[in-house]
Amino acid sequence: MPFTATPIVGGDAFDQACRIGQEADRQLALIDDPAGQLACLRRHWDSLAGLGWLAVAMPEEAGGAGGTLSDLAALTGGAGRGGLPLPIAAACGVIPYLLADQPALLPGMAEGQHRIAFIPADAAVDEAADVPQLTPDGKLTGAVVGIESPPDPTHLLLVLGGAEPVLLLLPAGIPGISARHTLRIDGRPAADWRFTGLAVEPGWILGRGEAVARRAAEARDLGALLTCVEAVSAAGALLEQTIDYLLNRVQFGVPLASHQALRHRVAEMYVEYENLRGLVLQALRAAGAGEGMPWRDIAFAKLRLGEAGRFIAQSSIQCHGGMGMTEALPAIRLARRIMMAEFEFGDRTFHAQRLLDAARRAA
Amino acid sequence: MSAAIDYDAFRAEVRAFAETRCPPEIRAVVATYRKLSRKVWYPWQRILFEHGWGAPGWPKRYGGTGWDLKQRHIFDEVMAECDCPPQYHHGLRHIGPVIIEYGSEEQKQRFLPGILSGEDWWCQGYSEPGAGSDLASLRTAARREGDEYVVEGQKTWTSHAHEADWMYTLVRTSKEAKKQQGISLLLIPLNAPGISIRPIRTIDGWHHVNEVFLDNVRVPVANRVGEEGSGWTYGKFLLERERLGGANVAPALRNLERTRELLARELGGEAQRLKRAMLEERLLLAEAELRGAQALGQEAIAAVMEGRPLGLLPSVLKLGTSVTFQHVAEVALDAVGERLAPRFRPTDAAGPNAEAPGIEWVQNYMYSRVRTIYGGSSEVQKNVIAKQLFGS
Ligand SMILES: Cc1cc2nc3c(=O)[nH]c(=O)nc-3n(C[C@H](O)[C@H](O)[C@H](O)COP(=O)(O)OP(=O)(O)OC[C@H]3O[C@@H](n4cnc5c(N)ncnc54)[C@H](O)[C@@H]3O)c2cc1C
Repeated sequence: MPFTATPIVGGDAFDQACRIGQEADRQLALIDDPAGQLACLRRHWDSLAGLGWLAVAMPEEAGGAGGTLSDLAALTGGAGRGGLPLPIAAACGVIPYLLADQPALLPGMAEGQHRIAFIPADAAVDEAADVPQLTPDGKLTGAVVGIESPPDPTHLLLVLGGAEPVLLLLPAGIPGISARHTLRIDGRPAADWRFTGLAVEPGWILGRGEAVARRAAEARDLGALLTCVEAVSAAGALLEQTIDYLLNRVQFGVPLASHQALRHRVAEMYVEYENLRGLVLQALRAAGAGEGMPWRDIAFAKLRLGEAGRFIAQSSIQCHGGMGMTEALPAIRLARRIMMAEFEFGDRTFHAQRLLDAARRAA
Repeated sequence: MSAAIDYDAFRAEVRAFAETRCPPEIRAVVATYRKLSRKVWYPWQRILFEHGWGAPGWPKRYGGTGWDLKQRHIFDEVMAECDCPPQYHHGLRHIGPVIIEYGSEEQKQRFLPGILSGEDWWCQGYSEPGAGSDLASLRTAARREGDEYVVEGQKTWTSHAHEADWMYTLVRTSKEAKKQQGISLLLIPLNAPGISIRPIRTIDGWHHVNEVFLDNVRVPVANRVGEEGSGWTYGKFLLERERLGGANVAPALRNLERTRELLARELGGEAQRLKRAMLEERLLLAEAELRGAQALGQEAIAAVMEGRPLGLLPSVLKLGTSVTFQHVAEVALDAVGERLAPRFRPTDAAGPNAEAPGIEWVQNYMYSRVRTIYGGSSEVQKNVIAKQLFGS
């Protein structure tokens, strides 16, 4: 029996998320135009809202399921395996975490009508001058790019950095905000946002000060952890599919799987996969056990995701030959997703810097 | 059962022991990468033995501690963290358990006490010039003559043969059967007539390994472990027991810490700021890998304790940590290489540069190359992994 990956957190939620992911991936592959793809994603968003995914981590008092990190890991893991191109880590984990003290907002989020895109303080900008900020007279300016988002976002959740961090929730479709919507290379919806002197209403400001920065950093680490879970799960599926391809593709009269060079490459992928899985599992346990986010464990895991994830993705593409350069196979779509995961919630250099700083301070 | 064990208290007890009872000069040998020889190992084994900790992996009835796997792992970890030498393994971890499992009563009485106290020093005679990765093709032959075997052939790469008293040896007792089936395991005293030992000089300049020539060496049949023709099974039992060796990442992490200190020391100046940053980053990547391996090691120990199969974990750990260890050694080499590599020559083992401060980092780099060769080479591990992954 060839290899089958074991989920980090298995169970019904994992299976369901995986099934929905595979279904969405299959349907999307048959649609050519971006508008049609977006509509398909929106349908899946609505159905997973209906299944209660978005309420998994919300407190029971607010009508949520009061789930644990483990429940979130089951969902993100399943979605990762299935290749679901929706921001599950952000929508089910990060954003509810940031808005946990806003009970009035939660029902709308849980039901999927509030579709929130999250813009962290260190979101990508084309020019340094574009970093979003509040002018002294309370106007929002700036422009961020490549922001992952749910389909048809209704709101923006912003963290503004600077001397006094601010947490801000705005309606998305109002004058003073312009958007350019795209689909990313991994099929997920994204947008560039520009703020042109939008007058910020007091009710949009949800928090100010050090506490916002701290909570945002924790939310980022939660996002990084869930993204790691998702990517490990995708990598497990990718390994399976790569092995399957090599067993079935015949060249020189024999299956490719009989060539030691390719067998060894797959063995190396497996070692990287296992090592990453070990780290992610450990970070998940630490996060479930203690108070707050075990930032060091998460940073090591995310750093390794950069290294191992890319190695696995690239190796899989190489093992598929020309087919590895196409979008035709689910395997290659998974590979692309793993490559993108690196850049979410802090890339490898971000997390390496944190760890190096800490090591220097300790020395 | 294991629920009753307070592992934190155990860890503290081991640490207190290591810190107070392991002589500073022995710990200094480990911390500065000097050669571990019988002269260093023996007194430490003696101390452990007298404390009742001579054989962490053995059952109590044979003088072992009776510790469970997790306790043994903690013991190994703490020893590494405190720079205590890992116990000399050929007796305690290799042939000892085989004798306990398959040896005769006389063999147990004759051999186990010497291993436990450190009086008898063992080495492993498996590899031959023609039999490395393909060990089962070994040709050293043992011909039966009455109550004795007459052994004829050559072993090679025999670590510690030059300081050992005994060699547990795989020999061919039959050419008829399938090649694995004609192999037997003999316990051969190295002072027996007909044995000659010749050193092999390795690239790091130290004397680790030897060629061992066996010229009509007479060995009593009573020195055969278990059945004739079953030596391969015993050899595999030994390897099975060692499969969790890779789970102990503590020595590698300790090595990494020392390397980080080296970078701070060697590259502290402003002119070397960037170089230090580059090397620190490589070290960090290695640390991430080692932490991943550490997590997998804990998973492996839990699996064994709960009676679940280990699957590919041992191969993954061996393959991964051996390469990472080498990466760390490369970082250290890059830190000191300009200054020290040109002064390091194999012939300097005991020569003028042997004492150059930091020269051990060059030696350590050179010797670390062996990690992906012995104990099942990287390529052999990949074959094992691929076979399982592809289903054939
Ligand atoms: C420092 C040191 C200490 C040692 N100590 C001992 C000891 O105490 N006792 C003892 O018995 N032995 C000892 N060994 C021997 C060690 O176990 C062998 O070196 C090892 O088994 C490899 O065998 P070999 O050297 O013959 O290499 P070979 O088997 O000739 O291998 C050469 C190369 O080919 C690769 N290769 C081999 N087979 C395959 C394959 N099927 N597919 C792909 N690649 C392959 C190997 O990975 C390696 O890269 C020691 C070796 C060293 C260097």
